[in-house]
Amino acid sequence: MNGGGVGHLDAAAPVRARGRGRSLGIALLVAVTAFALLGPSMLGIDPTRQALEDSLLAPGMAHPLGTDVLGRSVLARLAHAARLSLGLALASALTAAVPGVLLGVLAAWRGGVIDRTLSMLADATLSVPGLLLVLLFAAIAPGRIGALYAGLALVLWVEWFRVARAASRPVLAGHAVQASRLLGFGRTYLLRHHVLPELAPLLRTMLALGTAQGVLALAALGFIGVGVQPPTAELGLMMTEYLPHWHEAPWLIAAPTALLMAVVLGMMLVSPADAA
Amino acid sequence: MSRAGSVSVEGLRVSAGDRTLLRDVSVSLQAGDALVVLGESGAGKSLFAQAMMGTLPAGLRASGEIRLAGVPSAVSDVAARRAVWGRGIALLPQEPEQALDPLVTLGGQARRLRMRLGHEPPDQARQRVNAALDAIGLHGTAERYPWQLSGGMAQRATTMLALTGGAPVLIADEPTKGLDSVWRDHVVGLLRDLRAAGGCVIVVTHDLRVARALAGQLLVLQSGEVVERGATLEVLEQPSHPFTRRLLDADPSRWCRYPEPMRGAPLLDARDLAKRFGDRTVFAGVSFELKAGDRLAVLGPSGVGKSTLGDMALGLVSPDEGRVVRHVGPRMGTFQKLYQDPVGSFAPARRLLDTLRDVATLHGLAWAVIERLLGSLGIDGAMLERRPAQVSGGELQRIALARALAVGPAVLFADEPTSRLDPVTQQRAMSELMAAVIERGIGLLFVTHDDDIAAVVGTRILRLAPPAPPAEMRS
Repeated sequence: MNGGGVGHLDAAAPVRARGRGRSLGIALLVAVTAFALLGPSMLGIDPTRQALEDSLLAPGMAHPLGTDVLGRSVLARLAHAARLSLGLALASALTAAVPGVLLGVLAAWRGGVIDRTLSMLADATLSVPGLLLVLLFAAIAPGRIGALYAGLALVLWVEWFRVARAASRPVLAGHAVQASRLLGFGRTYLLRHHVLPELAPLLRTMLALGTAQGVLALAALGFIGVGVQPPTAELGLMMTEYLPHWHEAPWLIAAPTALLMAVVLGMMLVSPADAA
Repeated sequence: MSRAGSVSVEGLRVSAGDRTLLRDVSVSLQAGDALVVLGESGAGKSLFAQAMMGTLPAGLRASGEIRLAGVPSAVSDVAARRAVWGRGIALLPQEPEQALDPLVTLGGQARRLRMRLGHEPPDQARQRVNAALDAIGLHGTAERYPWQLSGGMAQRATTMLALTGGAPVLIADEPTKGLDSVWRDHVVGLLRDLRAAGGCVIVVTHDLRVARALAGQLLVLQSGEVVERGATLEVLEQPSHPFTRRLLDADPSRWCRYPEPMRGAPLLDARDLAKRFGDRTVFAGVSFELKAGDRLAVLGPSGVGKSTLGDMALGLVSPDEGRVVRHVGPRMGTFQKLYQDPVGSFAPARRLLDTLRDVATLHGLAWAVIERLLGSLGIDGAMLERRPAQVSGGELQRIALARALAVGPAVLFADEPTSRLDPVTQQRAMSELMAAVIERGIGLLFVTHDDDIAAVVGTRILRLAPPAPPAEMRS
C-alpha cells in the first residue's frame, strides 16, 4: 500500500553515508592511478639505478621517500611498482571477466548439459587454492610477468562465472523475459535490456574487488619471492627487500604497505555495499 | 488458553517530512472485537497496520497514543511494542513471500518461532509444527523453502506463523489475498476463533465477503482520512459516504456479466494435458478448446496448476502428457500473456516509453497506433517517462494490456491480472480488458481463484480440482 513513494525515504540516510565513502574511494583511486601513470615519467629517475654512497638516506629534498640499501630512489621504485601492480591486476581481472561472464550467462541461458559441464569446470578450478594455481604458473615460467597474468586470470574467472550465472538465472526465468519472448524479441534484446542491466552493478563491484584481489596476490607472490624477480620494482618484492631495515629506516617498508592499503581500501570503498 | 486482549489508539497520525499520509485515526477494540479497514490503494490502510504494529518504514513519523492491554505508550515508541511482538501483538504482513525468510525451510522458521516464543523443546516444536501445517493443508511442506510455495500457500503459511505466538491482538493486512473461497473461509474461521478466545482482530482487506463474515466495526479510508465508520454490517448495507458507495459497487459480486461473444475460428485444442512435479501429479486429463471470441475462465484452489495450464496453452511449458494443437501462428506475437504482478513483466531498468517503442519498432507499427491504444485505455503519455516500479499497479496493468494488444494477439492468457488491485481499480482494468477482447475477437484464457469474477468473465468455466492424494499422504 505504501508503495514506491515511501521506499526512497528509508534509504536516504545510508545513501548519504555511503556516498561519502564512495567519494573517498574514488579520490584514493584517482590519486594512486595518477601516481602510477604519471609518476614514472615525471620523476624521470631510473628505479634500478644504484648509488651505493646514497644508501639508506632518510626522506629529503632529493629523495622524498628516501633511498634503499642500494641507494635507489624509493619514490621512483614505488611509482613503477604501482604501475606494474595496478596494470597487471586490472588486465587479469578484465581477462577473467569476459569469458567468465559470457560462460556464466551461457550456462544460465542453456541450462542442462552445458550448465552442468561449465559448473563442474568452475568447481574443479575452485578445488585448487587460487594462490597455488598462480604459483604453479609462476613455477613453469619463473619471473615471467605473462605467466603471472595468465595464472591470475585463470583463478579469477570462476568468480565471474558464478556471479553471472547466479544473477542471470532468475532474470532469464522471470516474467519480464517471458513477456519479451512472447512479444517476439530475440536473444540480443533480452541480453541487452534484461540481463545486462541486472548484471552491470554486480560486475562493477566485482571488477573493483577482483582488481584488489589481484594486487594483493601479486604482492603476496613477490613477498615470498616467486613472483616478479629483482631488480624489477614490485610492491611485495619491495616489502621483502625493506623488511630487514624496518628498525633503522622504518619509512622504507611503510611506503609500499601504505600504497597497497590505499589501493585495496579505494577499491573496497567504490564498490557499492548493497551489491556485494 | 486465555487470549483476552484489548487495543486502542488515539489521534494516530503518520507523516513523511511535511506530508501527512494518515491523519487522526482513533479506534478502540475490547476483547472479542474486530475492526475492518477498507479503502482504495494508497489510502493508508497498510500504513495504519504498520503504525499500530510499530513497523513503519524508516523516514515515516507516527504520533498519537496507543494502549495495548491497558498499557499506554506513544505510537512512536516502537521499543515498548517490540517487547511484546509475537506474544502480545502480531502482524500478518501484506506480502507473505517477502515476510518469509528465503534461506530457511518453512518448518525451520515455524520451529524457531515456537522454540523462541513458547520456549518449547525442539521435538515438541517439530510435532506441533507438522500438525499446524497439516491443519492448513500444507502437509509435507515443512522441508520446503518459501520460494517453492505458491502465493496462496505462502499466504496460509504466514498466517500460521503470525498466530504461533498466541498474541491476543492480531493485525492482518489482506490475509485472504490470492486465496480461493475454501481457504478464504478457513482464514476467516481462524480470525473468528481468535475473537472467540477473547482476542481482537484488525483486518485490512479489499474483500467485502471477509468484511461481512467478520462484522464488528468498519473504518473506510480515503487518501489518509477516515471518511466513514460504524458497525460493519450497517455501513455495508447503507453506506452514507459516496466513496464507500463507489467501493461497494466495484465489488465483483455486483458486476454485470460481460456480453456473449461471436465465436469464430478454432485457435487451440488441448487434449488430456497432465503436469507432474517429481512423483506428484498436479493435474491430469485436462482438455479444452478455444475459439476466437471464447472466454475460458480457469478456476481452482491455489497450487492446483492454473498458471501452468495457461503456460502450456501458450507453449511456454511442455505438458508431461497430452498435447496442444495450435491452429494459429507461428506469427510473432500471436500468443500474449498478462501477469498477476505487472511490475515483474517489464524490464525493470528501462523506461516504459522505450519498452513500448521497442515493441513498435519490432512489429513495424507506427507510434501513433500505440498512442491511440494507450489513449483508449486512459494512460497519460507523461507516465511513460517512468520506470515500471514507479507506476501504480492498476496503471501498469493497463500499459501491459496496451503492449499485448499492440501486437495483435489471437490468444491472450490473463493470469489473475487484477487480483492485486483494489476493487475500484480492478473493475476499471477488467472492463477495459474485456472491451478489448470482445472488440477484437481474441480468445481469452482467464485464470482466477474468484468465483464471482469467473462467473462474469467466462463464457465457459474450467474447474481444476486437486487430484486425490496418494494413500500414504492421507492422515
